[in-house]
Amino acid sequence: MSVELSQAGQVLTATNLSAGYDGRAIVQGVNVEATPGKVVSIVGPNGSGKSTLLKSLVGVVPVLAGTVAIGSRDITNFAPEKVATLGVGYVPQIDDVFPPLTVKENLEIGGFLLPRHDVAGRIEAVLEFFPRLKEMLTRKAGKLSGGERKMLAMGRVLMLAPSVLVLDEPTANLAPMVATQLLEEYIRGFADHGSTVLLVEQRAKAALRISDWTCVLGGGRVVLEGAPKDLERDPVFVESFLGGAARH
Amino acid sequence: MSSFGFGLMTAAVLAIATVGFTMQFAVTNVLNLAYGSVMINSAFVAYYFNKHGMNAWITLIFGVILGSVVSWAINKFVFTPFQRRNLAPITVVIVALGVDLIGTFGLQAIVGGGYVSFSVSPGREFHILGMFLSGMQLIILAICAVVLILVHWLLKYTRLGKAMRATSANANLARNSGVKTQRVISTTWLISGALCGLAGTIFALNTGVFEATSAQLYIVMLLAAMFLGGPGEPYGAMFGALTIGLATEISAAYISPQYKEVVAFVVLLGMLTFRPYGIFGSEKTN
Repeated sequence: MSVELSQAGQVLTATNLSAGYDGRAIVQGVNVEATPGKVVSIVGPNGSGKSTLLKSLVGVVPVLAGTVAIGSRDITNFAPEKVATLGVGYVPQIDDVFPPLTVKENLEIGGFLLPRHDVAGRIEAVLEFFPRLKEMLTRKAGKLSGGERKMLAMGRVLMLAPSVLVLDEPTANLAPMVATQLLEEYIRGFADHGSTVLLVEQRAKAALRISDWTCVLGGGRVVLEGAPKDLERDPVFVESFLGGAARH
Repeated sequence: MSSFGFGLMTAAVLAIATVGFTMQFAVTNVLNLAYGSVMINSAFVAYYFNKHGMNAWITLIFGVILGSVVSWAINKFVFTPFQRRNLAPITVVIVALGVDLIGTFGLQAIVGGGYVSFSVSPGREFHILGMFLSGMQLIILAICAVVLILVHWLLKYTRLGKAMRATSANANLARNSGVKTQRVISTTWLISGALCGLAGTIFALNTGVFEATSAQLYIVMLLAAMFLGGPGEPYGAMFGALTIGLATEISAAYISPQYKEVVAFVVLLGMLTFRPYGIFGSEKTN
């Protein structure tokens, strides 16, 4: 992987975080720390607040209590466009591209904060990483398949060479092989090159395979957390998320 | 063929107006029913300068400036406070309707109810493709062509245009990409307001005589053209304007010209019934 695609990571921390809509907390008292070179995954049942947690970290959902920090800088309730300037790339679960814009225009918007003369070179770098996108530069993003679309969504955030990647269910609606490639080759690869990766993932087994640390969210709170190898021995976790007997 | 000529002129004015109208709707999410009132107010400001001796074509600049500033101000001081309160979208539509009535009848209170007209020479007549077009009408067509090309260039090739389209498609994602969407929205009001002011002044020039309520039913034409092309689709707006402009004027050759807006309304109802996302729009737009 080209090292320039992402930067050396920064620590992303949520401390006693409560966040939600219209003053009503969906996640409550959550502590999460994502560190450079590591993948931290968040798993949990539907409605447990995983997406809300990520959205509150990047400024899309208001933080009602607690703090969010990048390194030592408090970024609680920063506007999303400000969070982007601090090197945080966010890929939402759905609506992750601009459908009426072409692939090239999506990448250009991804590089909106770059100096104009750097955009073309940066697109080239992203296309080296996702060569399939090269053939579809003039195609509208709304016409792409699920896998191509996700590549574009990732490419869009890579335009700014983020130091922190916040990814909300990047494998949703992808074929198993494409999902595995995305997780193991690309997402794990970012962390291996020093970036900070915070990942929400429905496929618990796949998430555990690439994670250094996993938090389990339930009812808006962290109910369990640990290294994947420890969670794989936890009977409750195995029963709830891995659908089988714990490994001993 | 003369109906086609009239239709072309109506389409030209309508195209400028509809592109501005649909741009506002797409980027700012406001169905600005006060658009017609800003158009006619702009026309009257241009007329004021023309009445005091300024060349009618130069007064277009004042129409453009007024349309731009007033549209920006309406958004800043009227629509935005309502939107911040997270009220239902219908609330903003009703507010826009109120602004339209205040704008139109406020103007009428100031200028009176009489008809006025620009002092401008129609120029010599040209016979083109079976149509008789005056020099003035050719200038209007040329302005329309230049404006539409500029809008296309803005949306397709500039950073601002791409940011406008991105904001229109997904404002949250645009913000996550570093786009300052509030600034984009303000700029959109300025640009679409300028188009509104230009359309209003050209509308008044093309009509010949006009008064404070002359653009009150124009909103029907705008809505028909916008829904025909696809809400929020600037290229669809150009297509919708051409179709509605030609349809209303050609129909006026067979039925009373007073029913022009009725024809537009029938097209609007048809589109809303059978394809509410328009010819160029997608179901998601709907």
